[in-house]
Amino acid sequence: MTEYLLRRILQSIVVLFLVTVFMFALVHAAPGGPTHVLLGPGMSPEAMKIQEHNMGLDQPLPLQYLHWLKDMLTGNFGYTFKNHIPINTIIWPTVGNTLILMGAAWVLSLIIAIPWGIYNSTKTYGISDNVATVIAYLGFAIPSFWFGILLQEYFSLKLNWFPLSDMWTVGKQGDIGNLLWHMVLPVTVLALGFLAGYLKYSRASMLEVLHEDFVRTARAKGVPERWVIYRHALRNALIPVITVLGLDLPVLVGGALLTENVFNWPGMGREFVEMALAREYSVLMAITVITAVMVVLGNLLADILYAVVDPRVQLGKKGGASV
Amino acid sequence: MKKVSKASMATVATAVSLALVAAGCGSSGSGANGSNNSTGNKSGTQTASSGKPVNGGTLTYGTFSDIVTLDPIYIADTASGDAAQFTFAYLYDFDPQGNIVVKPWDLAAAPPQISDDGKTYTIKLKPNAKWSDGKPLTADDIIFTLKTIINPKAGSPGISQYDKIKTMKKIDDHTIQITLKQVYAPFADALAILQPVPEHVLKDVEPSKLQKYAYGTDPSKTVTDGPWVWKTWKQKQYLEFDRNPNYWGPKPHIDKIIYKIYADQNTETQALIKGDIDVDSAIPVEQLSAVQNSKNNRVINKPGPQYEFLAFNFKASNFPGDFDPFTDPKTRQAIYYALDRKAMVKDILKGTGTLMNSPFLPNTWYDVNDQATNFTYDPAKAKQLLKEAGWKKGSDGILEKDGHKFSFELQYNAGNTRREQVASIIQQELKAVGIDCQPKGIDFSAWVDQNLNPGKFQAVLLSWAINTPDPDQESIYSSKYFPPNGQNMGWYKNPETDKLWVDGYSTIDRTKSKQIYGQIAKDFSQDPPYVFLYQYGAPAGYTTRVHWKSQDAPQIGLSYGYLYHVQTWWLSNQ
Repeated sequence: MTEYLLRRILQSIVVLFLVTVFMFALVHAAPGGPTHVLLGPGMSPEAMKIQEHNMGLDQPLPLQYLHWLKDMLTGNFGYTFKNHIPINTIIWPTVGNTLILMGAAWVLSLIIAIPWGIYNSTKTYGISDNVATVIAYLGFAIPSFWFGILLQEYFSLKLNWFPLSDMWTVGKQGDIGNLLWHMVLPVTVLALGFLAGYLKYSRASMLEVLHEDFVRTARAKGVPERWVIYRHALRNALIPVITVLGLDLPVLVGGALLTENVFNWPGMGREFVEMALAREYSVLMAITVITAVMVVLGNLLADILYAVVDPRVQLGKKGGASV
Repeated sequence: MKKVSKASMATVATAVSLALVAAGCGSSGSGANGSNNSTGNKSGTQTASSGKPVNGGTLTYGTFSDIVTLDPIYIADTASGDAAQFTFAYLYDFDPQGNIVVKPWDLAAAPPQISDDGKTYTIKLKPNAKWSDGKPLTADDIIFTLKTIINPKAGSPGISQYDKIKTMKKIDDHTIQITLKQVYAPFADALAILQPVPEHVLKDVEPSKLQKYAYGTDPSKTVTDGPWVWKTWKQKQYLEFDRNPNYWGPKPHIDKIIYKIYADQNTETQALIKGDIDVDSAIPVEQLSAVQNSKNNRVINKPGPQYEFLAFNFKASNFPGDFDPFTDPKTRQAIYYALDRKAMVKDILKGTGTLMNSPFLPNTWYDVNDQATNFTYDPAKAKQLLKEAGWKKGSDGILEKDGHKFSFELQYNAGNTRREQVASIIQQELKAVGIDCQPKGIDFSAWVDQNLNPGKFQAVLLSWAINTPDPDQESIYSSKYFPPNGQNMGWYKNPETDKLWVDGYSTIDRTKSKQIYGQIAKDFSQDPPYVFLYQYGAPAGYTTRVHWKSQDAPQIGLSYGYLYHVQTWWLSNQ
């Protein structure tokens, strides 16, 4: 296990390095630059040169990459071009804001979806299953921003139960009650989106397992139905669900642009789009690194969880169902 | 001085900058048919408040973009410029028609004195002006600020507004004499919008390091001279301004300003309807009626200091076979006639906005639009002119000349919903007269880099924002300013108007200059550099708890006019 982990971490470092090189080349290949956005059309070439020099954009690209890499390895993502603010002070609060919002929605949807999906798999096409199907359809079909606006119209503008937008009331920064109150509407929107997928996944993968021979054997042996479901079927059914959860992990820091916009949540989705339009290369790179780390982590966690739920999976051993 | 503004950014690049509304938040048009002062619109928009001003309260100002910096030397975007209205004093003010006046909160004690030869400006400062740290504000600060701006190493976007300065002399602590290299009429307005920075704070910073220095990004280091001082910056969320304890001017009624940042204009406008913010200077026209129907708001619906246009490219190498279809002025006039600009104002700008036939804003002291031809919607006349220009209908219905089809690409910045709609109307209306126009939206940064700055396009839909009430726009229209040296990105050349622009800024006699600009308006009808479309803007909304006297009512037609005289406003029912 330790050896496996070490190997995976070493692999991840190589992957992350390649990702940064690739992203660096890609963001710099896009036409335009921070100075074009900042000063707009018609600026004189001399003014452009001075700006680029002041911002350090006149150095050769490989050198710029090395500077960036050096900074990054010391835990410093550098500074924004437009106003020379340390990126650490921008990016980490934003990651935190997004984690709070997305994490809450994610956990909430898991708590509801997995038990409910399992229950529905044992009583297919019952009332509960049909209700879940309708919810899943809605979750897939309703555009999140539109659902968000609907909730705002009714619960904020009309009934005045919840705040319209923002993360805190100005002056109440740090007040947990105030935060929770602001979270109700956006978390509802995001949870519905997650819920749709997880409901369908957990139900479908349970149904598949319930038709396997070993379940029939268990039942034939006279094992109680509860035992069959939770002991024999569930463990196997969880594997595809874990895969999906692992893949969703990066989304928790990646944020949700549309929902963040509608609810004015200061999160990563907004940050990324704004920074891309402004050609803030260093911030984009920082976001890339953070997201890439989450992808790697998500995969690793999923692999470890396989071994936890399914004793047949032995990580790092030849012949095991790993990697 | 013109500027280009994007959704979030208005540049003060050279003398001129342009208005590009980016990223899906189209600051669509507005403006009732441009009566120049913003008194009364129907539905009881805004009038002076009766009753006596009361002190206290917090004004929440909404915006849809975070600031970049509060250092006036580097401010190039609207969001930062808005915030600077609370913290910095100007040298002079403008009246609604754009004339320079001096108010109690201006740094100057009297309007600038201009010598008979028009080259020397004498500025007299109020002796009691102070910085927020208690130090006196003197002639040295003014000279330091101007010196920094005109130092190329500092990289200030405002450099071209002041680069005609030859010498600056400190007469005494409160008097400065500036001599220009030549007579340059726009200079007075450039002085008026100068927001000085404190020499004692910045003198030891090297000019090339100034842009990276914390002045303007760290509230504790940002010493200012306006009615409020900057307290906090919660990035992407809000800024807080408290009353300046060392303020030297008339004490403002409002205690505290919260500058609240929203993700986009729609989210911001929802917040206005809810009452979370008191001022929203950029209501999207699609949401205008929702705001007007909400009881707690009043809307001022006037166009701002910016105009939109369709610009042609006159450099043949931008077209296949080096054939520029726009060469003949008759062809360009035909395009004018083919477009129903009135309908654009009515349908896309929702009836608010003012048609323009020249580059001069209506309802200003230099409004010379009556000298230009009014190109009304007349497709028959358009077809006639195209025929006279030698265009013949091809087999597919598209016009042809010398074996070339009349086909061109019309670029705009992707995500700007107003331009998207206007472009598609232009496409339809030109098709009706046999011209094939292909609209294309492009990411802003890439567009500036690859098309606008090098002048490589066939036609663009764009706008210019004008940040001082001065008519000079030489750097847009003169052939001296071909890419990459200026903003004449369409390579327009007209020797007569080239000379007239110089004549225009070389006289400080307004009767004379109005004649000159009138002639330019006429010439631009004969030989159009652009199809001028309309003056536009975004409606501004105010909650009913915000009050002002009639002379201090918002003046949307001026730069930052939605905060006109904000230091005199007051709030009811805290």
